[in-house]
Amino acid sequence: MKKTILIFVLLTSSIFAKLNVATTYTYLSSITQRIGGNLVQVTCLSSPKLDPHFITPKPSLIAKLRKKDLIIINGAQLEIGWLPPLLRSANNPKIQNGNKGFLDVSAAITLIDKPKTVSRSQGDVHPDGNPHFILDIHNSIIVGKLISLKLAQLDPSHSQIYTQNYKKFQKQMQHLAHTLKTKYKSCQGKKVIQYHELFNYAFKQYGIQNIGNIEPLPGISPSSKHTLALINQMKNNKVTTLLQDVYHEKKTARFIAQQTGAHIALVPHDVGAMRGTHTLETFYTSIGKAICQ
Amino acid sequence: MHKKVLSMLLVNTLLQAYTSEDLEKRIASLEKTLDSQKQTKMQTALNGGNNSFNQQSFMPDISLILSGSAVTRNIDNDRYEGYSIDGFIDKTGEIPFNKNRGFNLNYAELGMHAAVGPYFDSDAIFHLSPDGFEIEEAYISTKKLPANFDIKAGKFRSAFGRINAMHQHAQHFAQTPLVYEAMLGLEGINDAGIALHWVAPTDTYLMTGIEALQGVNEESFGKSSSNTLYIGYLKSGFDIGDNTSVLAGINIASGKTPTNKNSTLYGGELTVKYIIDSYSSLNWQSEYLYRDKDDVKQSGYYTQLLYAPNSNWEMGMRYNALNKNARQQPNDLKRYAAIATYKPFEFSKFRLQMSHDTSKSFDGIRKNENQVILEFLVETGAHGAHAF
Repeated sequence: MKKTILIFVLLTSSIFAKLNVATTYTYLSSITQRIGGNLVQVTCLSSPKLDPHFITPKPSLIAKLRKKDLIIINGAQLEIGWLPPLLRSANNPKIQNGNKGFLDVSAAITLIDKPKTVSRSQGDVHPDGNPHFILDIHNSIIVGKLISLKLAQLDPSHSQIYTQNYKKFQKQMQHLAHTLKTKYKSCQGKKVIQYHELFNYAFKQYGIQNIGNIEPLPGISPSSKHTLALINQMKNNKVTTLLQDVYHEKKTARFIAQQTGAHIALVPHDVGAMRGTHTLETFYTSIGKAICQ
Repeated sequence: MHKKVLSMLLVNTLLQAYTSEDLEKRIASLEKTLDSQKQTKMQTALNGGNNSFNQQSFMPDISLILSGSAVTRNIDNDRYEGYSIDGFIDKTGEIPFNKNRGFNLNYAELGMHAAVGPYFDSDAIFHLSPDGFEIEEAYISTKKLPANFDIKAGKFRSAFGRINAMHQHAQHFAQTPLVYEAMLGLEGINDAGIALHWVAPTDTYLMTGIEALQGVNEESFGKSSSNTLYIGYLKSGFDIGDNTSVLAGINIASGKTPTNKNSTLYGGELTVKYIIDSYSSLNWQSEYLYRDKDDVKQSGYYTQLLYAPNSNWEMGMRYNALNKNARQQPNDLKRYAAIATYKPFEFSKFRLQMSHDTSKSFDGIRKNENQVILEFLVETGAHGAHAF
């Protein structure tokens, strides 16, 4: 009896072998799951509650990468501080940079905020441009397309399914993008401040004007001098909304809110970063809501 | 290339365009842009403006790390050099870091990493100090071996134990743990040879490796008329819940002393990291080493706890003890250290370490050493990754 079960399990697992995919962030898992359906097994390496730049390279993550067929990363140097040694330690040639099982989705995106000169005197800059492109819903469609092409490349026998799933996904996201655009049309030109250059792509989507960041430079903790200057700027520009992410300290934001009377809106930076943002739909809806209301 | 650009742009456009009119307009403008791009390229080619033999994009990733310090200590510099640790070190060799009471430029470390081709990567770390130039590490490593194997060959820091493979700037304290210093010297096992690693096909992280090295480490081994040092380790890591991560390992290093006697070193390591949030964590790390060198059995350990309240600060304490010594030798060799590290930015840190050390003898007389080190460390160039 046991033997037959074992044989059955072995057979089924080889016939219905799923593509084993690792992703660096939860939005990539969500999109991959939507495109791959039950043909893929998706593992995410990080928690959306944490700063995407600083994921602890836990040894357990090496074991997760060991047998993957594909790793999908955000790219634009968002993972540079934590992923390379994990990839090296996993000894899995399939998913090394440059091989078929390595997909950097930022390569398909037109990045904004690309610095003209790159120097660390400007803080922890990303030379290729702002890596937080997923905040713009339109980019999720490009990522979906790219993932569907990659899955089809690795698993050609199911390419039709991936294409179909993508088309469905594209329609759904376009519909949502349209709905959000109409719903939050009135907030075009609204002035806000944020903690880190995290929501710039969402600003682009909604036509929001960013007056300043709580961080003096990317990766540099707030200073009182910069905070006071920012408060003045907010008063001059009549900024009433302060956008805060879930992972940075919130003390500075509270101080600024107290001084200016602005309200703090908590904005998710990734799928699942906040309660009620566990799908792409709820994620994008809550971004729009947090920024525009 | 143009076709690719065009098709990519088209995909983009298609995705964002809602009306066909809009689409046609966009295509027209794109074609216009492409035409003008073609013309410019033609002009460049005509005037020989192409960097035909430009190799810049093949430059390796280069990083430069600098360390300097100010030290106060209750021992004069001339008495400090050549100190001994009873039962372990008769006369210490070169002191690579924080040697002088007063000011020190510890080192400028130049690191390079590049892909050699599809099959190998190469790494080199050049350690430049006022005492000279040293190839700290230089090795090649495989990228394409099947079944989760990899091989490293050249000169490298052994993965024996938890701390041996870490460079001074990556460690949480300014000093090597006492037990490492006593058994492996201030520079640890850093030797020419070959290493084979294997990540086991288990859901829990399990890595095992063997190394065959020349065996030049003078404190425990040192016979180098032929290659004599063999090292093996087994390391495992797992998570407890979302926030706690554990790394544990057992290690063995077996070699020969200069007089061809057996010398074996056993090591146990345990690291537990509790992640409070993105910038805040608790990190507890301990190692125990046991040495049987020509039938002289000795052991020691250290245990350290570090707390990072935010991205700018880290504070910690380390307790070191050599708890088993050779016959007729003292068993109360200890060192206490406390450290506070300030990081104004990810790539720079200042650390202030205070230590009280009862293990050393100067000119043959045991004397407690009290020391304060203020050290700066900066990293420039290629972005280093954070270790666990």
